Amino acid sequence: MKTASARKKGSATLLIVLLLFLSCAGIIWVKLAVERVPRKKIPGASIIYIPSGKYLKYATFGYSSLVADLVYLWAIQYYTTYTIVDRFQNLEHIFSIIAELDPRYTDPYEIGALIAVNEAKDLKLAFKILDMGLAKNPDQWIFPFEAGHYAQRARDYETARKYYEKTMRIPGAPDIAKRLYAAAGFRVMDLKESWETWLEIYNTTQDKRAKKIAGKHLYQVKATSDTNLLKEAVRQFGEKYQRLPAALEDLVRAGLISSLPRDLDGKDYIYYPKTGEIKAPSVWWKR
Amino acid sequence: MKIQTIALNTFKEAIRDRILYLLFFFAAAALAFSRLLAVLAVGDRVKIIKDVGLASISIFGVLMAILIGTGLVYKEIDKKTIYTLLSKPIQRWQFLLGKFFGLVLTLFIMTLAMGLIFLVIVLLHTGKLEGRMLLAILFIFIELVLITAVSILFSCFSTPILSSIFSLSFYLIGHLSWGLETLIQKTRSGAARMALRGVSAILPDLENFNFKTEIVHGLAIDPRFYFFSALYGLVYTLFILALAVLIFKKRDFV
Amino acid sequence: MAAVLEIDNLYKAFKVGFIPKKREILKGVSLSVAAGEIFGYLGPNGAGKTTTLKCVLGLIFPDRGKVAIFGHPPLAAKARENLGYLPENPYFYDYLTAAEFLDFYAQLFGLRKKDKEEKIATLLRLVGMEKARDLQLRKFSRGMLQRVGLAQALINDPALLFLDEPLGGLDPLGRKDLRDIIVRLKQEGKTIFLCSHILQDIEMICDRVAIIVGGRVISQGALQSLISEKVLFTEVTLSGIDPADLVDLGEPVSTLGDRILLKVFQEDNIGNLMALVHERRGRIHSLVPRTETLEDIFVEMVRQG
Repeated sequence: MKTASARKKGSATLLIVLLLFLSCAGIIWVKLAVERVPRKKIPGASIIYIPSGKYLKYATFGYSSLVADLVYLWAIQYYTTYTIVDRFQNLEHIFSIIAELDPRYTDPYEIGALIAVNEAKDLKLAFKILDMGLAKNPDQWIFPFEAGHYAQRARDYETARKYYEKTMRIPGAPDIAKRLYAAAGFRVMDLKESWETWLEIYNTTQDKRAKKIAGKHLYQVKATSDTNLLKEAVRQFGEKYQRLPAALEDLVRAGLISSLPRDLDGKDYIYYPKTGEIKAPSVWWKR
Repeated sequence: MKIQTIALNTFKEAIRDRILYLLFFFAAAALAFSRLLAVLAVGDRVKIIKDVGLASISIFGVLMAILIGTGLVYKEIDKKTIYTLLSKPIQRWQFLLGKFFGLVLTLFIMTLAMGLIFLVIVLLHTGKLEGRMLLAILFIFIELVLITAVSILFSCFSTPILSSIFSLSFYLIGHLSWGLETLIQKTRSGAARMALRGVSAILPDLENFNFKTEIVHGLAIDPRFYFFSALYGLVYTLFILALAVLIFKKRDFV
Repeated sequence: MAAVLEIDNLYKAFKVGFIPKKREILKGVSLSVAAGEIFGYLGPNGAGKTTTLKCVLGLIFPDRGKVAIFGHPPLAAKARENLGYLPENPYFYDYLTAAEFLDFYAQLFGLRKKDKEEKIATLLRLVGMEKARDLQLRKFSRGMLQRVGLAQALINDPALLFLDEPLGGLDPLGRKDLRDIIVRLKQEGKTIFLCSHILQDIEMICDRVAIIVGGRVISQGALQSLISEKVLFTEVTLSGIDPADLVDLGEPVSTLGDRILLKVFQEDNIGNLMALVHERRGRIHSLVPRTETLEDIFVEMVRQG
């Protein structure tokens, strides 16, 4: 039998417990509701307002590489939050902060460039970031290598070639860099350089497969060089004689070329007298 | 012999201090957390683990050194346990050194424990036992020894709160040496520059003990650098302890 | 007999406050303690008792004056090895047990293991703390701390013992125990320097005293010579007499029913009083002569000083 005062105390406790439950439920409900609202910013976004990584380094009191890690992790979250539409505005800034804090941390350069190319669609920025990486880490061949890939994908063979050459020069770079350089050289029609590089690869490589590839490319370069020569000769013939030559030997007889070039296998080039087209006897990549 | 007695007693006292276990718990939690954090990374995950791990050992070690060190001498004076102690045939400097070595011993054990946990976590993640990390941890420990000396110095004449602030300031200033260097370079030659150079020579350069970044990146370090850093630590600690002994020697215990 | 403790013209002032203002505590304290005696050092609060003691023990550095313990300066090892100190309101490392605590101090004196253990056991027995041997000091009561503090002071079997308010905060049984221990130590040949303001205890055990008031020793000497045997007044408790008749004989202090407590100042009046009571068929319940006590002298001196 509870007395009146005991009953009052009991009901007071009950009230407090009820309040606790309600507030707890309230907290959870409000949190869930907030999470459903798409974010314009994510926490830590004030990192954007830091003027320069140089000064941030002083504020880290010897923990700069840790802070670099944390900013990098934050950046990954930031750039995968698709609801923030203007997030690429600060891409260069944020990744340069990370670079200042820990210049030898290679991942951010690569990922920054990746984001720049694929999401921000800003190729120049990607090159800038990778250049920064190489400047601070001259021994890391991966930076110009990736830059070459991005350039190649964008069909900017001149730039790709430049980057592949940089890659080649770094000790420890993979052999494929050289091959890519040679191939890019071909694309920009620097046939001489391309030929020399492929030849070097062909002569120096130990890898059988690489040698085979080099051989194929050498064929291609020679074929192109030769067909260009022949095409030019055909054009000159046409100018001089107002007609297409009947056969390639005509060009020699006309004195436009000293001798008929042959492909790498020693075969003659195929000439179509009706159209003036010149083709190599083999398809270079099927050899 | 007397120093040893005080040292062991101080060790017993420190090892029973709840703050120590609280900080150790947080350090272990941070080390475990590093594994979780690494999941967020794209690319090299081990770097995150190593960075967080070394930073935790460093931060929590410094906190232990400061929070316990600043109370060591002050508590004895405040609680008057020092009265009976100093009436015995023990010199004041022996008492001070005993306190110092007692805390250094405690920190050594704590650092060792945290270091082992760290190495195990790295081992779990990479399958390799990275002995080089121990080198970074060793120099973190040397820095802790210096910070301990500083905490004890302040503990001789100041309350724990003020001493903690002073010791923390010492730590922060010690890591701003880069900033001072830049400032010196930007100042024109003359009296101001000389003064700054003088100041930078005396101010602690705690960056000397910071090999964390280099070791995590696996960069080579000139062994002379190790030797000189250790020597710097030793000499500076000696300087601070001498200062503490001087101040403590002439103090009236009211 | 050479003085065991010699204090010569000690001056000490403290700088108090943010803008330091000088506060003089000791203004020329001099005293000397002979071997084998119990010396009482008395004074009101703030007179400088504890400050004097700290100067003697090397915890405070006096501005002027000399202190010699067995002829050596206070910081000398020879002085320290032969003294023991129990501070006022002792507080010790509360995470240690009583045995560990005594062991710690024993180590500071470089006692060997076997000697140490014997000594610790003996001392704990002496102060009656054997049962609390393995109890952490944080669980000790005030009285227990005082006892274990005394044990610590005796760890090196000192010839000179400094006790600062050792009887404060003890219950009557504790005080008796401690007094007995102090007397026994004197019998063993030790010299004891006792700071106190519990005058009854001082009166009971001290041979010589010094009284310090306002930073100066205003009186020093054998207890007997300070206190005269003069009877101040006699307290008489009687009943059955009409108060009006007692007016000339003495001063009434209190009345409880029929009983009257009377202070009789003149000796002759005692005889007259007894005759009166006999005449009126009253009863005398008690007759107690009150001689001058240390407290009387003390209060008088302090008031004068």
